[in-house]
Amino acid sequence: MKKLLLLFIMLWCGAALLGCTAAQNSSDQDEENEQPTENEAENEGENEEEASDDSEGATITYWYWADNSEYSQLMQDIIAEFNETNDKGITVVGEEYPWDGGGYSETLFTAAVGGGGPDVASFKLTSTPLFTANDLLVNLDDFINNWEDKDEIDENLYNVMKKASGTDSIYVMPWNTQILYVYYRPSIFEEAGVEVPTTYEEFLTAIEKTTMDTDGDGTTDVYGFGMRGATGGHEPWGSFIHGRGGSFDELDSEASIKGMQDFIDIYENGYVPPTATTDGFNEIIANFKSGKTAMTIHHTGSSAEMVETFGDDVSAFAFPAGEGQWTSMGDTENVIFESTEHKEAAFEWVSYLATGKGQEDWTIATGNVPVSKTVQQLDHFQNNKFMKASIDGMPYAGIIPIKDTTTEWISTIWPNTTSAALLGDQSAEEAMQTLQEALHEE
Amino acid sequence: MQKKRFNIWPYLLISPALLIVTFVVFLPVLEAIFMSFQNYDLRRPDKIAYIGFQNFAEMFADPIFWLAFKNTVIWVVFGVGLQFFFGFILALLLNQKFIGRGLVRSVSLIPWATPGVLIGLMWKWIYDGNYGVLNDLLMKVGLVDQPIMFLSQTSTAFGSVIVTIIWQGIPFFAIMILAGLQGISQEMYEAADIDGATKLQKLFRITIPSLKNVIFITILLRVIWVANSVDIIHNITGGGPSYSTQTLSVYIFNKANVLDLGYSSSMALFLMFMLAVVAVPYLKNSFKEGTK
Repeated sequence: MKKLLLLFIMLWCGAALLGCTAAQNSSDQDEENEQPTENEAENEGENEEEASDDSEGATITYWYWADNSEYSQLMQDIIAEFNETNDKGITVVGEEYPWDGGGYSETLFTAAVGGGGPDVASFKLTSTPLFTANDLLVNLDDFINNWEDKDEIDENLYNVMKKASGTDSIYVMPWNTQILYVYYRPSIFEEAGVEVPTTYEEFLTAIEKTTMDTDGDGTTDVYGFGMRGATGGHEPWGSFIHGRGGSFDELDSEASIKGMQDFIDIYENGYVPPTATTDGFNEIIANFKSGKTAMTIHHTGSSAEMVETFGDDVSAFAFPAGEGQWTSMGDTENVIFESTEHKEAAFEWVSYLATGKGQEDWTIATGNVPVSKTVQQLDHFQNNKFMKASIDGMPYAGIIPIKDTTTEWISTIWPNTTSAALLGDQSAEEAMQTLQEALHEE
Repeated sequence: MQKKRFNIWPYLLISPALLIVTFVVFLPVLEAIFMSFQNYDLRRPDKIAYIGFQNFAEMFADPIFWLAFKNTVIWVVFGVGLQFFFGFILALLLNQKFIGRGLVRSVSLIPWATPGVLIGLMWKWIYDGNYGVLNDLLMKVGLVDQPIMFLSQTSTAFGSVIVTIIWQGIPFFAIMILAGLQGISQEMYEAADIDGATKLQKLFRITIPSLKNVIFITILLRVIWVANSVDIIHNITGGGPSYSTQTLSVYIFNKANVLDLGYSSSMALFLMFMLAVVAVPYLKNSFKEGTK
């Protein structure tokens, strides 16, 4: 009996940790057994319209993230307006979750496979294969083909959505895009005698020259560039890799390694804050807004607060061309979950965000690039320097290859490998070899 | 001699609790064990199959696993060891009579009562290289000329998170040891005084031996909790930079987070057996003593 009791206590000790992992997935295994085949999934898509789907008076839950508290309120206002104005009595209940450097997508996935997910959610393209592989998303082909506003959205955008799913079907509803560009402080450029760079080489020189000891005490007061070494930093980093002619497909090529070496050099030469290895979004924005950095890379989502801080002393340029040119196209879409009982009501909501009043309100307030052609033509978007930098970057904007390795590569492998390279624990070549293998492993 | 009758009542009374524990704890544990023998990766759901010991083979060949293992040993030894050391001193102080003792006892519990996520965020900003209060203080008192990048360099990041877990755990040791101290008979100290014992002799001959069981059980609990702890490291560094703060539990968490559940389960199983190696000798010993 004593031995039995001892065994009981021992298992108890380890159960806490193991229990968490396993409990989360007990339902996954069951669902896995019930997963339909690909053909069955397609048939389901065809029959969506026939499925009982009472949108009148439906209540749908909507998950989203917001970059700051103003955007949180904005989304709640848009939801309130939709709830008041839609003629089908649909009620959207908005639930906000933190972006958490991409952790949002993992939370959403865990909730969805566990049966506790929402009806509709904000979404990133990179997560599409994971969610479609587990049959979590509604196929939107029929909804979009029968939608009166279908042509309001550029065909190319639909193609990107299809490519992301790895099929000929659309599972994500376009909402808005964000093209990364370089924010800079004109006053610091003037003080350093630097012009807005037009080539990649000039950009590297500008980083060097705008790193300044302004008070002559022997320490750097302004760093040329706000480098993001923590999760999410792969996006601006990708521009350096492509600037030397490298690519995500061949991260271990000579050109890609040269791009990585540039990244290492600007860290080792002290042109970026020494905290760069662990700086994330909050840190790079705080450093730029406090005047600690002369340039940083982000999208229009930050433009309102930049202007609020600096007035006219902040501007933007598209990431310049070197031997190659690339910038990250951030994207935000909406998806409808298979588990919802109100697919038509859910589509009413996502279409309101894509081309309705929700599109205009959200993109004007957040500064994101609208997907609706009508909204794009508004003066607000035609006469904005940050929007211009976004539009300039559109022709070469892209996304990181969407593979089943991408999430891990972004969340843990890239930040740890890159920080190892920045801190001198690995050479540029070793780091790029690791990154290549981790992203493209089969 | 009459044979003792079998009494079913104790078993009936305990069965509801046992059933709940079985379904909530043991079944998920068993499932995790099964998963550790599968390539259970939800990113590739079509490829899930039993693969024998392949996860374990990969684990033992994985340099990040061994770095995390080494970090876990350091994390537990220094984290728990120094929590015990400072907690013991704090308990001795709180056992003295002084004005405001109740208030001090309550305040000293604050770190233990604070959620780990909040502690992580709080210390992340305390250590921040650009705006952190710790660097500000060090520079104001003239100890350093330049801010120290506590979390951004591999040489200081792990030490910094260990200091945080020590700060969090000291009150738990203090309160447990304080409870033990209050259970020691004063007559023993009076007898020692009569025999002319010094303060140190009383500490090593009366106090510590009397607290032996409390110390053992507290250390055991903390070893298990600290080894399994994820929240503080995850919120301060996420395991970086360059994996320098990644312990096994953080590695398990990160792998589970990217849905590689087979691999993370095999590491969790390894961690469980590692903790069992620590706990079994102690538990055996305490059961022997309990039956004396």
